[in-house]
Amino acid sequence: MKIFNSIRWRLQMWYGLILVVVLAGFGFTAFQMERGRLFNRIDDEFHRRVNELGNFLRRPPPGRGPRGSFDGPPPERRDDPENIPDQDREHPLQALKDFRLPPRIANQFDETDTNGFYYIIWGTDGHRLGSSTNAPERPSLPGSAIARLQGQSRNIVNLPGQPPIPPEPSPPQMLGNFRETTFSTQSGEFITVGRFIGRELHDLQFAALELVGIGSGILLFGLVGGWWMAGRAIRPIQDISSAAVKISAGDLSQRIDTAETESELGKLAAVLNSTFARLETSFAQQQQFTSDAAHELRTPVSVMLTQTQTALNRDRTAPEYRETLAACQRSAQRMRRLIESLLELARLDAGQEQLKRLTFDCAATVHECTEAVSPLAEERGVRIISELEPLNCVGDPERISQVITNLLTNAIQYNRIGGQVRVSLKSEKGLGTLIVSDSGVGIPAADLPHVFERFYRGDKARSGSNGHSGLGLAICKAIIEAHGGTIEVTSEPERGTTFTVRLPTTA
Amino acid sequence: MRILIVEDEPDLLRSLAQALREEGYAVDTAPDGDEGIFKAESYDYDALILDVMLPKLDGWEILKRLRKTKKTPVLMLTARDQTRDRVRGLDTGADDYVVKPFDLEEIFARLRAIIRRSTSKTTNTIEIGDVTVDIAARTILQSDKPVELTAREYALVEFLALHRGEVVTRTQLYEHLFDENDETLSNLLDVHVSNVRKKLGAEFIVTRRGHGYCIE
Repeated sequence: MKIFNSIRWRLQMWYGLILVVVLAGFGFTAFQMERGRLFNRIDDEFHRRVNELGNFLRRPPPGRGPRGSFDGPPPERRDDPENIPDQDREHPLQALKDFRLPPRIANQFDETDTNGFYYIIWGTDGHRLGSSTNAPERPSLPGSAIARLQGQSRNIVNLPGQPPIPPEPSPPQMLGNFRETTFSTQSGEFITVGRFIGRELHDLQFAALELVGIGSGILLFGLVGGWWMAGRAIRPIQDISSAAVKISAGDLSQRIDTAETESELGKLAAVLNSTFARLETSFAQQQQFTSDAAHELRTPVSVMLTQTQTALNRDRTAPEYRETLAACQRSAQRMRRLIESLLELARLDAGQEQLKRLTFDCAATVHECTEAVSPLAEERGVRIISELEPLNCVGDPERISQVITNLLTNAIQYNRIGGQVRVSLKSEKGLGTLIVSDSGVGIPAADLPHVFERFYRGDKARSGSNGHSGLGLAICKAIIEAHGGTIEVTSEPERGTTFTVRLPTTA
Repeated sequence: MRILIVEDEPDLLRSLAQALREEGYAVDTAPDGDEGIFKAESYDYDALILDVMLPKLDGWEILKRLRKTKKTPVLMLTARDQTRDRVRGLDTGADDYVVKPFDLEEIFARLRAIIRRSTSKTTNTIEIGDVTVDIAARTILQSDKPVELTAREYALVEFLALHRGEVVTRTQLYEHLFDENDETLSNLLDVHVSNVRKKLGAEFIVTRRGHGYCIE
C-alpha cells in the first residue's frame, strides 16, 4: 500500500495508536476509580449495617448464657411486646417469620425503598426464615454458600471468658444487580444483607459511556490536530523535495523557500540551498569552461575553413597555395596547443597526472629555463637578470620547468621593449621561493584576481594568434598546487607584474 | 559594394577579405576595435562584418556607437552560439548573425541578404527593361542571354541598379566600388562605365553632367 509509505500517514498512525492507548488507559483508570469509590461508599454503609445487625444478634439475652441466637428473642424484642408475642419463645423459627428488628436497626433498612438495604435470614439448612419486605424473592440459600459459610464459622476462636468472635462478614459480592453479603450467626443461621444497586450500576454505565464519548472526542480532536501538525511539519520537506525535483530536472537556479530558518528543517534547507548554490556555480564554471574551450577551437577552424574554401574557389598560384597551407598549419598548431592544454588540465583536475617526487637542483632547472627563453628575450630586447641561490626542491622537475618557462615567457611577452625580467630563487621559511618579475605594463587591479582562471584574458580579445590559449597560468597553478605549493601574483600598473611560486623543499 | 571586415585573427581576416574581393566586393579591413569604429564611422559602407571578441573595443561597443550615427547593415561574427548572445547582438542593432566556424557560402549569402534588405529590395533580381540583374548569382541577363561582365563592371551595374532612379555621384561610386588599397586613377570609373555601355547599350547608364550617373 502506497499510503503506508507516506511519512505523514505513518506519523499519524503511530500518533493515533499512542493516543488511543493513553486515552483507553486513562478512561479505564477513571472508570475503575469511579466504580471503586461507588462500591466503597456502598460497602461502608454495608459494614455499618452488618455490624449493627451482628452486634444485635450476638448480644446474649439476659440469663441465657453467652450464646445469642434466634432460638430466643433478643432483649429488645421483649421490650417490644407488639412485635414479639410470647408464644414465639417456644417456637423460635416460627417466631422468626414475624421477626422484627428494633426500630433503631430497622431504620437502617428502608423497607419501603426497593433501592434500600434489605436483609434475609436463612435457617441452618438454608431455608428462608424471614426478610425485610424489599428483599428479592429467593426461596433458599444455595448449598455451596452454606458450605463456604460453615467452613468459615469453624474458624471461630473462642477465648476463655470472652464472647466468641464471629467471623468477619465476607466482603459484599455482586449477585446480578444486587450487592450482598451473607454471614452466619453463632447459632448457625445465615443472614444476608444486600442492596439493589441497579440504579448505581446504570449510573456507572452512563459514566462509562460518557468517558468513551469524551475519549472519542479527544481522539478525534487529537487526530485532526495531529494530521494538521504532521502536515505543517512535512510541508518544508515537500518544499525541499519539489525544489530538488526541479533541480534534478536541470533548473539549477531553484532554491528552497526557507521561511522557518530556525527549525531543524529550515537549517537542512539552508544547507541544501548552499549545496545547490555551489552545484550551480560549479556547473556554471564547467559550462563556461566548455563553452570557452569550444570558442577557442572555433576560431582556428574558421580560419582553416575560410582559407581552404577561398583557395579552392579557383585555380591559384603555388605561392598562394603555400600561403593557404601555412595559415592552415598555424591554425592546426594552435588547436594542437589548445587540445594539449585542455587534456593536461583535465588530467590535473582528475588527479591522474603522475607527478614524480624527486629531489632536484632547482637552481639548475631555473637556469635551463632562462637559457631556453633567451632567444625570445633577445628578439624583444628584454634582459633577464637572475639571482639564484643553490636550492633543492622536491617534485617533478619537468613540470616545474614547464611552469618556470611559462612565467618567463609571459614576463618577456608582456614586457615593454628593452625592459627586464628578474628571476630569483631563494629559501624562505623552509620553502623554495621563486620570484619572476617583469617591468611591463602590469595587470589592472580588476583583472588581477582572475588571472589564474581558465581562459581569462584581461583585454577580452583572443590573443590566440600569438600562441596563448588563456590556459597557461591556470595550468601553472594546477601544477604548483599538485606539488603542494602556492603561486601568487602582484602587479603595479605601468611598473610590472611579479609572480611568486613557493615549493616544498623536503618530501 | 564596399564592405568593412573587423576581425582580430589575421589569417581569418586575410582570407575572408580575399574571398570577398573575389566575389566583387571592395573590402576594407580593421584588425581591432578602435580602427574598426574609426573606419565604420568615416565611410558609408554597404555592410560591416564585425567580430564580437576584439581587442581594445569589442563588437558590442562598436555596434552601439555606430548605431548612433549610421544605419550600415551589420553582420556579426561570433564564436558564441548561445541564444542570449544572438539575442543581444540582434537587439543591439546587428542585422544578422553568423556563428564560427562558418562556410564562406553562408557569409556571402547573408551579406547579400542584409545589403538587399538595406536597399528595401525583397527579391534577388532587378528588372531594368530587358536587362535582369541577379544579385544572388551575380549575373546579368539581357533578353535572357547572359552578358559577360568583369567583377568591377558587375559591381557598378549592381550598385546603380540597387539605387535605381537615384543619381549616384562619382564620389559615391568611388567609395563603394574601390577599397582603401586601390590607387585608382580618376578616369578608371569612366572606363568601367563605357565598358558597361558597350555591353548593355548606351542608354543603360545615363550621365547627369555635374552630378553623376543613374539607371532609370
